[in-house]
Amino acid sequence: MTIDPTHAAGGADSVEEGDEHVPQFSTYLIGLALAVLLTAASFWAVNTPLIYGPGIPVALATLAVAQMGIHLVFFLHLTTAPDNINNALALAFGLLIVGLIVFGSVWIMAHMNYNLMAMSHPMG
Amino acid sequence: MTLFGKLSWSAIPFNQPIPLVAAAIVLVVILGVLVWVTLKGWVPYLWKEWITSVDHKHIGVMYCLLGLVMLLRGFIDALMMRSQQALAFHAPGYLPPEHYDQIFSAHGTIMILFAAMPLIIGLMNFVVPLQLGVRDVAFPTLNSVSFWLTATGALLVNVSLVVGEFSRVGWLPFPPLSELRYSPGVGVDYYLWAVQISGVGTLLTGINFVTTILKTRTYGMTYLRMPIFCWTALAACMLIIAAFPVLTATLAMLTLDRYLGFHFFTNMAGGNAMMFTNLIWAWGHPEVYILVLPSFGVFSEVISTFSSKPLFGYRSMVIATLFICLVSFCVWLHHFFTMGAGGDVNAAFGIATSIIAVGTGVKMYNWLFTMYGGRIRYETPMLWALGFLITFITGGMTGVMLAVPPADFLLHNSMFLVAHFHHVIMAGVIFAVMAGIAYWFPKAFGFRLDEGWGKATFWFAFVGFYVTFMPLYVLGFLGMTRRLQHYDVAEWRPWILAAMVGVLILLCSAICQVMQLVVSIRHREALRDLTGDPWDGRSLEWATPSPPPAFNFAHLPHVDNLEAYWNVKQRARDEQTLGRAAPYEDIEMPRNSPTGFVCAFFATFIGFALIWHIWWLMILGLAGAYATFVVFAWRDVPEYVIPAEEVARSDRANRAIRQEALLGGRTS
Amino acid sequence: MSATDAALAARDPYHVGHAGESQARGHGAGGPASKRIVVGYGFWLFLLSDIVIFSCLFASYTVLAQATAGGPSGKQIFDLKRVALETACLLASSFFCGTASIAVARRSQLWTQVALIATGLLGLAFLFLEASEFAALHAAGDGPRRSAFLTGFFTLVGCHGLHVSVGLLWLGTMMAQLFAKGFRADIRRRFLCFTMFWHFLDIIWVAIFSLVYLVGTKL
Repeated sequence: MTIDPTHAAGGADSVEEGDEHVPQFSTYLIGLALAVLLTAASFWAVNTPLIYGPGIPVALATLAVAQMGIHLVFFLHLTTAPDNINNALALAFGLLIVGLIVFGSVWIMAHMNYNLMAMSHPMG
Repeated sequence: MTLFGKLSWSAIPFNQPIPLVAAAIVLVVILGVLVWVTLKGWVPYLWKEWITSVDHKHIGVMYCLLGLVMLLRGFIDALMMRSQQALAFHAPGYLPPEHYDQIFSAHGTIMILFAAMPLIIGLMNFVVPLQLGVRDVAFPTLNSVSFWLTATGALLVNVSLVVGEFSRVGWLPFPPLSELRYSPGVGVDYYLWAVQISGVGTLLTGINFVTTILKTRTYGMTYLRMPIFCWTALAACMLIIAAFPVLTATLAMLTLDRYLGFHFFTNMAGGNAMMFTNLIWAWGHPEVYILVLPSFGVFSEVISTFSSKPLFGYRSMVIATLFICLVSFCVWLHHFFTMGAGGDVNAAFGIATSIIAVGTGVKMYNWLFTMYGGRIRYETPMLWALGFLITFITGGMTGVMLAVPPADFLLHNSMFLVAHFHHVIMAGVIFAVMAGIAYWFPKAFGFRLDEGWGKATFWFAFVGFYVTFMPLYVLGFLGMTRRLQHYDVAEWRPWILAAMVGVLILLCSAICQVMQLVVSIRHREALRDLTGDPWDGRSLEWATPSPPPAFNFAHLPHVDNLEAYWNVKQRARDEQTLGRAAPYEDIEMPRNSPTGFVCAFFATFIGFALIWHIWWLMILGLAGAYATFVVFAWRDVPEYVIPAEEVARSDRANRAIRQEALLGGRTS
Repeated sequence: MSATDAALAARDPYHVGHAGESQARGHGAGGPASKRIVVGYGFWLFLLSDIVIFSCLFASYTVLAQATAGGPSGKQIFDLKRVALETACLLASSFFCGTASIAVARRSQLWTQVALIATGLLGLAFLFLEASEFAALHAAGDGPRRSAFLTGFFTLVGCHGLHVSVGLLWLGTMMAQLFAKGFRADIRRRFLCFTMFWHFLDIIWVAIFSLVYLVGTKL
């Protein structure tokens, strides 16, 4: 085993100063502008006759996902830099779980409700 | 509203002899221990070295201790259930239904959440940082908070024995039975708050270990040079982060229904009770994989060490582990095939359930091929591993039977199901914990456990398991449902009696385990582990003295391949020298902190207050918890320094012993 | 630097990390990462667990959304003007939180406190708007006990509001700490966690206003 300095539990402190990068003001401005744009687009989508009715929820979901991405990149500085890759992977795993829970539950419960409340209109 | 909410003297079971006697015994034992400890003058030592410790080794030991005590309590519940069923043929037995219901509910809750989880988490706590070659986990004080919150949950469950009652609705509180309308007592509330509070602790553990394993490994330890136990710990902790929030949210929804009259799962106003079942099993299935994946990791370590061979197929083991981790989130509906989702949904989940068995199959073959051609030593940990290999395969097969929806329609909630899950949990988790404790005990305490008593424990457990649970499979086929307080079917009687005999054999195993501890402690000098490497181990924890110093390693190791320590030993044997020691430097370690204990103290009061609707106490508790957070956040000196001379002294002693063992050709 | 380190640096000058041989800290062979990265990652994992909690509440809301039990549906009770105002408050609050990050990185106590006060006031405005919505509904008899749909709605949106409230408590504590102890390393790490939390709350709100309020007024 080669010679090397010891380190405290939970990561070292000494290199910390160099790791901290100063965020740019322009990043936040751009993020804010894009977020405002997407929010306005969402509110517009609900009121406009230009979008096919049943497609509106899809449009809203898409705009929401886009805006979440803007927040992640411009406000939370999520990138694929080596230090950040674990964060991106963890997010991907988290989104997978969210997808399984939400779409899985909706799929399952829709079937349950259909099969088990066929006698009468669901209560309430 | 009175000053003490719903609490009154009638909460103490004066008119029920069995809980009253049990409560009295527990109180006497606890008081006795407290008095003994105080009189012996151990309180300052315990406070300084254990209660306020943030050292992962001490926290791991405390988790295992908590788990073992609760395992005993859960086992007593099992004894009571088996004996009740043995007696209650055309007879009422000795446990009235309201009491019997509490016992099976407590048995399940305690065994899964307060025995198995703490034991597995305890093993992970002790071993993972040592195997990764680092000094502690990523967030040591948070680790202490996790432990003490888990202890709070266990405490609340046990308080229900003395004050009030426990839940009667089973270990998972399905609505509408668990709603206020049908369970107006405090039992379900005890369950809810105990599980929620300990659930927070577990989630923090998950976060702690994923961060530790991904971000703080020692030099040179790439992902594919990590010991396999660390991979399984990683997978389990990823599942904890993903699944425990589901438990938190779902129980919170039930709590809102009960406390504030919401309508998530009620029959009225549009609630949907099936949604609870759906969500709770979305947690429940990953939960069992949280238990079993680190168990597989323990066996990988044990089988490899005691076959004197590297683990066969390390990469496929890693892939199998991650595969199981991922697919475990795609099978949860198999717990409620019969609830009415229909053919397509059932088929999809049934197929996914069958697929997940493939991962375990890969592991089984890898373990067998590890043993093949090896020089096998039949010491206690290896006996548990062999028992596991035989038993888990058959248990898993019964699981594949249940995975087929049409078969499950007949077997769901029968004794077949009860037999299946005990089969896999005992073989998988309990045998693993026993093996892990026997394997790592010398590292933790500096002396081995007595082999004779250890082997006796194993054989009683192995035989006792089969005698207890094989009859339950037969009972399932004969049509017996689970959770019966009494029965009238003559056909079932012999099998129930056989299970009773089995559980008495398991009792012998428990007694042997206690004896092993007593005897080993008494003869600890004779059983001393001098070298720190009693089993000729292959991973980094065996490079440290037994027990390891607070800082684990004098220098963080530099790893350049899998089986780091084995390669160090081989090189040392070949070159007949340990190599030069690097210069010693001061080491900074995190300070001990009462934060965890104090947090749990307030959490206990908050939980108790919420259960009994004592609102002022709840507010006081919350204020106290916030104050604890602020006090902790305000401290200025989070670390203390271990001077280089102390590090040097410890390391030189370790090197001297190993040098002697090396040149003498022995390894222990 | 040893010979192997130098050779590796030549092959991998930007520390991208090839075949796990990266010498960058916190990856492959680099040894433990710095405290700032470790703390940031741990808190990120906590936020992901919080996202899972919200997803369960979302799932329940979606399943129960049609169960109005004779009471009002979303279309009847959602006030989009108020929602737009709430969205503006929270988004602006996030922006000021970002400027606070810059102020902390530049070690300016004055601008840090100013930006954080702005963050807090806008957060309070959001809470006030939401509380008035809840109070109005409750007064009209359409509280969470009226129907499963309202239970789901109040819990999901209320859970977000609870997170904002706790966040404001944290913000106050953070401001006090920064003022009392300055820009010490551990306080800056905690501030990093706070900013992550605050931005995450805005992300959840995006999902809520899109999928609860806007979709609710359409369906």
